[in-house]
Amino acid sequence: MPKRILVIDNEPYIQEIAQICLETVAGWQVMTAGSGQEGLIRAETSSPDAILLDVMMPDMDGLSTFRALQANPNTSTIPVILLTAKVQATDLSRYAELGLQAAIAKPFSPLELAEQVANALGWNLSDEVED
Amino acid sequence: MRILVVEDDELTAKALTTVLLQQNYAVDVAVDGWIAWELVESFVFDLILLDVMIPKLDGIALCRKLRSRGYQMPILLLTGRDSGHDKALGLDAGADDYVVKPFDPEELVARIRALLRRGPAVSQVVLEWGNLRLDPSACEAIYGEKLLSLTPKEYALMELFLRNNRRVFSCGVILEQIWSFDEMPGEEAVRTHIKGLRQKLKAVGAPADLIETVYGIGYRLKPLEVPNFSTEGETSPKTIEFQKPSKQQTLNILAKVWDKYQARVSQQVEVVERAIATLPHAIETPPGPTNPALPAIPTSSLAPAELTQLWQQARQEAHTLAGSLGTFGLAKGSKLARKIDHLLQQSLPFDSHQTTRLREFVIALRQEIEHFSNQENVDTPTRDEESRRLLIVDRDRLAAEQLLKEAETWGLQGIIASELTIAKSQIEQQPPVAVLLDLSIASNRQDSLALLEELSHRVPPIPVLILTTQDHLNDRLETARLGGRTFLQKPIAPVQVLTAVRQVLQPTAAEAKILVVDDDPAMLAALRTLLEPWGLQVTALSDPQQFWQMLEVTSPDLLILDIRMPHLSGFDLCQVVRNDARWSELPIIFLTAHTDAETVNQVFAVGADDFVSKPIVGPELVTRIVNRLDRMRALRRLTDTDLLTGIASRYRSTQDLDRLLRLANRHHQVLSFAVLAIDRFQQIHDREGIAIGDVILRRVGQLLQQNFRGEDVVARWGGSEFVLGLYNMRQENSLSRLTQLLALIGQQEIFAAPDRKLAITASVGVAQYPNIGKDLQSLYRAADEALYRAQASGGNRIIVANA
Repeated sequence: MPKRILVIDNEPYIQEIAQICLETVAGWQVMTAGSGQEGLIRAETSSPDAILLDVMMPDMDGLSTFRALQANPNTSTIPVILLTAKVQATDLSRYAELGLQAAIAKPFSPLELAEQVANALGWNLSDEVED
Repeated sequence: MRILVVEDDELTAKALTTVLLQQNYAVDVAVDGWIAWELVESFVFDLILLDVMIPKLDGIALCRKLRSRGYQMPILLLTGRDSGHDKALGLDAGADDYVVKPFDPEELVARIRALLRRGPAVSQVVLEWGNLRLDPSACEAIYGEKLLSLTPKEYALMELFLRNNRRVFSCGVILEQIWSFDEMPGEEAVRTHIKGLRQKLKAVGAPADLIETVYGIGYRLKPLEVPNFSTEGETSPKTIEFQKPSKQQTLNILAKVWDKYQARVSQQVEVVERAIATLPHAIETPPGPTNPALPAIPTSSLAPAELTQLWQQARQEAHTLAGSLGTFGLAKGSKLARKIDHLLQQSLPFDSHQTTRLREFVIALRQEIEHFSNQENVDTPTRDEESRRLLIVDRDRLAAEQLLKEAETWGLQGIIASELTIAKSQIEQQPPVAVLLDLSIASNRQDSLALLEELSHRVPPIPVLILTTQDHLNDRLETARLGGRTFLQKPIAPVQVLTAVRQVLQPTAAEAKILVVDDDPAMLAALRTLLEPWGLQVTALSDPQQFWQMLEVTSPDLLILDIRMPHLSGFDLCQVVRNDARWSELPIIFLTAHTDAETVNQVFAVGADDFVSKPIVGPELVTRIVNRLDRMRALRRLTDTDLLTGIASRYRSTQDLDRLLRLANRHHQVLSFAVLAIDRFQQIHDREGIAIGDVILRRVGQLLQQNFRGEDVVARWGGSEFVLGLYNMRQENSLSRLTQLLALIGQQEIFAAPDRKLAITASVGVAQYPNIGKDLQSLYRAADEALYRAQASGGNRIIVANA
């Protein structure tokens, strides 16, 4: 069973790039959401294995979205990786305190995204499709 | 299908003939090995049923002789019950299978059918991968000679892999391709089906990893080992390079995402530009005209609330750009956007230093993006042109150069090879789209034929058109057997050669015309970039109001519609198209961002064939389009082919004849038009019944097809009436060919019953273009009238219409 990832980002091209990279490089199944609200719904209905979450979004930003995910028992256990420009040591420790799994610096390198995500989650990239 | 029965025992021969006739095969009987050999040399058989114990030349020796001369038709041995030795000998000698006497008719027929399925005369629509063959028209999969019994889903999986034999499919993609929208199961379903398919493949002797797992990605067909092409004639095996979704491929896909969204990125930069344009040049100066490099929007024209909104939007966009441009490979752009982002986060008002820096950064960012976009556009189209190479393998320099020149006007880059070794190294360097091969290129004809065979066995095969100065029936047969696609007799006009090349190249997906209607220009551009490298000709239309006009002008093979557009929706357009009889068959694909059940229902309710969800993923869309076009062609084949005889239908041949007549007119060529009919066919039909009538028609159809190939039009126009169009053929030449044909027809033996043979004759009326008529109608009238006179005066003759 390939891993299923939800990408929450208001920018359509970031959604699409993340989707292409994670699907072709890692073979994961990628779902996308264009806003925090939509992300909450998709996370609850499709229970992904992990969520990639953009920090800066209009209306509902990444951190509010993350808090809402944490507050819902159906989504609170899904590991969340933040996509953010801020990845200084102080930022990272703050994210860890909040309960975020990891943070990936934006702009990310498309070919390395899958590996970064896998490393953050302790997944092995090579054993996804074996049956 | 024509079968030769080689059997000296009269009773067995009769029994065999009866069984085979019942199956609608044409049957000839030879009572000894020599007669069999002579028959094989003069006629084309699709299969030989061979008794081992026959006089003169025994079955094993005949088998060996046939194979040593390159005959590749399947051979089925008939052996005695306890003759294991014979079987082994026969199979060693090149037989394909055996049946033990006394035979069980059902088993015999089943084995014949299995052998015929893998015969060399397969139509090109059959998909092949090593020993695996898929016939989409019959939904059959065969490994070696064993039929795989597959469920519809397993078959669809197999077809998906064979149609895209270098692609890796993830489970998600497979689900999307094969399962319909309302039955979408989980990915375990894909795994289960792959597992089942592997078991079935294994059961028929296929390697277990024919469908290979690509770790971390998905499934694909295991690459085939194929012999390398080498100038020295070495045979070191080499695996073809297969494309995995490599880094490069992923980058290519990403480049397309950039194409798709660069307009949006540009808009985002524009928002920042507009915000900055509202800044005064310095704090002291009032708002006024700004730096000419930026759009000047005076502050005064905006209400305070609008201004606030603009600035907020600019901050958002700058931040997004900082976080995304680097992902596209625009690292410098990301850095610039980051600097802009930092500056914008500071509170207003800005001092003149801040303002100047902001302006500089924004100008630099704009330049960076434009530079990047231009770079992207440079290297896409060139590859396409280079790949359309036509290799001309001909010693005759003059003739070759004429062909080269003609090829250019057809959009093909001609390459001349005056020797076989040069030809091989050219093919090795870059495979051409087609090869024109003069058989006299090598002093030993077998060497030329070997090249032909190698080319047709390549994956994918390279079509070969044979040029020859001699026109022996045997040459035609031999080259056709080795995979030659068209036989062109020299001297021949270059335009005619290229017409034939064009015909050979046409059946692939290339050259299909696609009309795309979408109000978003960025989407149109993205589709164009995506589809054109596949040889699909894209016409983009952003204004649905002009739709009807464009439809008429471009006459597309496929239509792609966006659902939501101003003024007219995609649904409206689709319905309009479907309501017009001329366009009722046109495949229509919708692009939609919404895949909810209601939208999907509506897509199909208005008559569309498929939909692709936005954002589009390139390979999916291409696969869907190519599949759709393939299916349409399969349908078209039905109307193009006379189902009884397999030759062209009246509908199709009328178009071809009209085209040849236009060509003849333009290039001042002649054309022989002939109408052939079987003498007293109505009487035979009434007396012997419809089945025998059909056998006769099929036999004559086959003879025509075997003796007139490629460039000639051969068709059945109904009843027992056949039509021939021989381009660039002077009257005396066509008469001699038609005379040969009538002799061949006269030699046919048709079994009305196991013990009763029928003889048939035919008559022909000929009308020569341009002497007798300039259009098809007048030629037909004249030829038909001549045919009537030929039949009225006793039949079995040719009469030429007089002016």
